[in-house]
Amino acid sequence: MQRRRFLKGSVLLGAGAAIGSTAGCGPHGEEPQSPVNFEPGKPLPWINWAGNQHCYPESRKAPQNTDQLVDIMKSAKGVIRAVGSGHSFSGLVPTDDTLISTDLMSGLVSHDPKSLQATLLGGTTLRDCGPILDAIGQAMPNMPDMDYPTLAGAIASSVHATGAAFGSMSSYVVALKLVTPQGELIECSADKNPEIFQAARTSLGALGVISEVTIQNQTPFNLTEVNGVTTANEIWATLDQRVANNRHFELFTIPYSDLILTVTTNLAKPEDNNSGEDDPQAVNALREAFNATHWIPAIGSRLYSKLLDLSMSGSANVIRTGKSYEVFPHVRIVRFREMEYTVPAEVGPACMQEIMQTIRTKKLPISFPFEYRYVKGDDVWLSMFEGRDGCSISIHQYGDLDYKRVFAEIEPIFWKYEGRPHWGKIHTLDAQRLASLYPRHWQDFQEIRTALDPEGKMMNKHLKQIFGDR
Amino acid sequence: MKEKPRCTETKNNKTTRRRLRATLGKALVCMFGLLPTLSLADLDARQRHLLNSKCVQCHANQHTGAPLIGAREEWRSVVNQGEFVTLSNVVQGIRGMPPLGYCSACSEEDLMAITRFMALWPKPATGQD
Repeated sequence: MQRRRFLKGSVLLGAGAAIGSTAGCGPHGEEPQSPVNFEPGKPLPWINWAGNQHCYPESRKAPQNTDQLVDIMKSAKGVIRAVGSGHSFSGLVPTDDTLISTDLMSGLVSHDPKSLQATLLGGTTLRDCGPILDAIGQAMPNMPDMDYPTLAGAIASSVHATGAAFGSMSSYVVALKLVTPQGELIECSADKNPEIFQAARTSLGALGVISEVTIQNQTPFNLTEVNGVTTANEIWATLDQRVANNRHFELFTIPYSDLILTVTTNLAKPEDNNSGEDDPQAVNALREAFNATHWIPAIGSRLYSKLLDLSMSGSANVIRTGKSYEVFPHVRIVRFREMEYTVPAEVGPACMQEIMQTIRTKKLPISFPFEYRYVKGDDVWLSMFEGRDGCSISIHQYGDLDYKRVFAEIEPIFWKYEGRPHWGKIHTLDAQRLASLYPRHWQDFQEIRTALDPEGKMMNKHLKQIFGDR
Repeated sequence: MKEKPRCTETKNNKTTRRRLRATLGKALVCMFGLLPTLSLADLDARQRHLLNSKCVQCHANQHTGAPLIGAREEWRSVVNQGEFVTLSNVVQGIRGMPPLGYCSACSEEDLMAITRFMALWPKPATGQD
């Protein structure tokens, strides 16, 4: 969530923040940025980006190629987990036994100019994919709004972007190489080991470690992103057209405000010009304004809403244009915690509006904007978009504030709309409830998993909880 | 004319001035960072790979607010706090910086070597910390 430039330089919000500082009544940070204190010379922890997951692996490995990865898997002790960039909020990575970093497994392996397919090592970051592919005349058709994840990490949890005509990252994978916990190298695609392929395209890292990924690309293209602010009534009345008429469309709702931030991205026109860059810290202005006002008895939330209306309405559109891999991602430096569910596309508006109303009704202490995106359905067994077009709604809380109470109030709303949780984000579902959300292939996946990992070497605490065994 | 005492005095003055110059020079060297620093060649191939795939995501991007590689002034406060605090912050993450700088393959030595290179930190052999 980075498109916050609408708040940049807001005198009104600045004034609000000053009031809050003087009054000293805003909530203070409750959660430390880091879950552990590290002192040089002592055991080195692994900590995820959000700072809500950590572990002290007994053994840390960093293979540089598939052969080394095979050797490591054959001799690895205890629970084995792989890590890419560590952007998952859920407990996919922690292990106190063997942690395999894919940091050194990055780069281009091969490519085919005719089919516009390219094979990259699994540890290649999405950031590096852009220029690597550009140099060979290819580009990913769609990318998430941040490019820190690795390719293998992104497909492990079905990372996605927005665009009703575009599937998740997993849906663009046409082949991959998987190294099982026994050290067996398996090549798979729609034609070769097709069942393993369908399981491995979104596997939560439960089948082994993916060493190479072949993705379907297109020829390079330029994009223009336009950010704007509109009233909620206008957005919900025109949503279908906005989604249908633009290559990519997403929006951000703001708790206690009737204004919505829109992000519309289309192929660039020659006359498009940059009007400025994001302010990645702008979301902090929202927090300051919220802290300054929400505590005021009776009128706090209305005052906050009014403050936002005054500061945001009339904001000029922000335009970014350039190569696709430069426009899709945004800088992410404000730490937060995130819960995301994907509901069927057609119920997205109702679900989001119920969430916003619940926040007002229950006066939930949250000010971070929520993200709302569309993703095309696919046939990947454990993809959140399996069998249906999806609307993904992301709930954020600042990293140093308690998220549990707010998330606990909102999560049941997602259940009501048959939402499927993002595998890399915070949720509370167990195996039984997850199985009911994936009626077609949950069991198929478990059979592949137990066949490839009969001893459960890839199963850490979190995976045991969500897969419900061992 | 007995000039010797004066000469002695002059010699003492010269010695003092030399010492002052040396001290001042050292201070200036410290102040302006003219001590030998790590070059890319001081990093091994593995560390260079990690630098290029992880650290440059923020430290070569002017929009992140992170101190830019080789921008001595931007690193001054980091260098001034010393290695112990710096390394603790790198591992735990601080403000916008992610824990471990996104580098899960990095050892403690890798993190410090790469930080030294990016910050133009004086080489350990100089005794500066």
